[in-house]
Amino acid sequence: MSVEPFNRLVKLAARAFYDDIAMKGDNQPKTGRSDNRGMAVVVLDALTRRQWVREEDLAKDLKLHSKQLRRTLRFFEEEKLITRDHRKETAKGAKVYSAAIAATSDGQPVGREGEEKIKLHTHSYCCLDYAQIYDVVRYRLHRMKKKLKDELDNRNTVQEYICPDCGRRYNALDALRLISPDDEFFHCEKCNSELVAESDKLAAEEMGDGDDNARRRRREKLKDMLQKMEVQLKPLMEQLSRVKDLSVPEFGGLQAWEARASAAARANGDSAANDLSKASQGQGYGGTPMPFLGETRVEVALSGVEVKEEDSKADAGANSMKVLPPWMIKQGMNLTKEQRGEVKQESKIDSGLSAPMSDDKKSKVNEKEDEKQIQDEYVKAYYAAILRRQQEQEEAAKRQQKELENKISALNDVIDTPNDRQVGIKSKRDVYEREDGVEWEEAPTAGNTSETYKLNDLNVEAEASGDDEDEIDWEEG
Amino acid sequence: MFFHIVLERNMQLHPRHFGPNLRDKLVAKLMKDVEGTCSGRHGFVVAITGVDSIGKGLIRDGTGFVTFPVKYQCVVFRPFKGEILEAVVTMVNKMGFFAEAGPVQIFVSNHLIPDDMEFQSGDMPNYTTSDGSVKIQKDSEVRLKIIGTRVDATEIFCIGTIKDDFLGVINDPGASA
Repeated sequence: MSVEPFNRLVKLAARAFYDDIAMKGDNQPKTGRSDNRGMAVVVLDALTRRQWVREEDLAKDLKLHSKQLRRTLRFFEEEKLITRDHRKETAKGAKVYSAAIAATSDGQPVGREGEEKIKLHTHSYCCLDYAQIYDVVRYRLHRMKKKLKDELDNRNTVQEYICPDCGRRYNALDALRLISPDDEFFHCEKCNSELVAESDKLAAEEMGDGDDNARRRRREKLKDMLQKMEVQLKPLMEQLSRVKDLSVPEFGGLQAWEARASAAARANGDSAANDLSKASQGQGYGGTPMPFLGETRVEVALSGVEVKEEDSKADAGANSMKVLPPWMIKQGMNLTKEQRGEVKQESKIDSGLSAPMSDDKKSKVNEKEDEKQIQDEYVKAYYAAILRRQQEQEEAAKRQQKELENKISALNDVIDTPNDRQVGIKSKRDVYEREDGVEWEEAPTAGNTSETYKLNDLNVEAEASGDDEDEIDWEEG
Repeated sequence: MFFHIVLERNMQLHPRHFGPNLRDKLVAKLMKDVEGTCSGRHGFVVAITGVDSIGKGLIRDGTGFVTFPVKYQCVVFRPFKGEILEAVVTMVNKMGFFAEAGPVQIFVSNHLIPDDMEFQSGDMPNYTTSDGSVKIQKDSEVRLKIIGTRVDATEIFCIGTIKDDFLGVINDPGASA
């Protein structure tokens, strides 16, 4: 069973339906930065490269806050795109997990360990439900078409009435109960105010009540809409029909999948895989006693390029985790703010290199203070900067490579179905321009790459935000 | 649509009717009770055409009433979605018009009236085409199509449309008068 066509279906559906859905933050102000439209697409894309995945791990990979991710996932669960499983890991499991954490990030305070033990008691896992996605997307398309068509020829539509005062809704089937003996209008059963006919939901904006011209205009608008829909969703429909006769990839429930995975791992003859807990500890930061982590590797061999790519990315994440601690700790000695530390350091060095004058000046001012300390700090900063530079170079190289890969895969996609892709892009742009031009202006680069630009975008944004902090810090110091 | 079906009912008969023509009394009471009623399941009972069988009566404790299980044939009328009916307009207002086809009430809302007909208020509110050749007012006869039914246990209500080919006014009493 091939997952690829289904993944493509998921990606298309994500871009068609979940592109501009913003997860509402509870108390965040609506700023440009907290505008997370498009996150849904990123999450869905990431899920196409995985099977069952623990939500925390996913959050880590996507560099999202786990709460944010959970909100998105809950939304998708309601949309019936994914299945989720929550289970309580045993106390032993939590212990092993925290032990693994301690092993990977040597020198964690003990208090935090205990805290984590409580926090990580219940774990959630999620997985795409391909069979259901297929049905959901088909049903959604069907409903859209039916609604438009019904409204177009005004057939089978039951007129709805709404009470302007209390907001109660009635439809034409209630008509008999609603006519009042005094006059010829419909009256609300509750507050006895006059009901108004709810004009057609889709295309009623500018029409006058019952105006002949307006009706014709509305008709045209509906027809236009229907046509546009046909064109814009054509790639999706084609993918649906392509997928129709394929067997749906089925991962089963979490338990079943895990059992299968561990069996596969054992069959693989991996010496470490025999002892599950050992194997998972060897896995590094993700090391809960989960056999399926080993399994991911097995699946990689099966399902080709995209998954592999993801895997390497995960490895990179692990690397950076390992590299970070030594000088983060140093930083903690100098400056109390742990997270800002790294950024601050970098900025200092940068300025030091580019404009040594300012630094000199500073040192003069601070001469009365302990010079040695400053020197120490300087040296440390210097080392950190070198480390940082190396890391950056590495990352840059990696990114380039990845971009290359992405481009190649995008190219492949294009080659795959050149025609409908073109159409899809165009139409999508159309939608954007109409609905949220603002976002367009913010990210003008997003248009040219097809499938992968969201991912790239995420990276860009993260860096930009880092720079932001950078500047602020510098001014403070 | 009309159906000729067999229904069953338990009739309770007062002891004062016991006598030589108990059976006639029973049938008369059946007709009085059943004809004109509406059940959500079968529709409106229009007429009883015959009584198939009357079972053994059972005397109730305490009251002396006797219960007879009766099987009877009857004509029922049940409107269906998509059915074409001829109906008489009973009321016209801004929202549309109400019509009656026998026992069933039908509401046609104004967006299911052809676009070229406009509402004219006045003491005889009506819907008229722009050239005035077709007019829907009280007592007009219209042919309409049922597009929705609400079936309760004891009530059936329909909504209809005249926005389709061959639907609309079939005779206009105002024009002939």
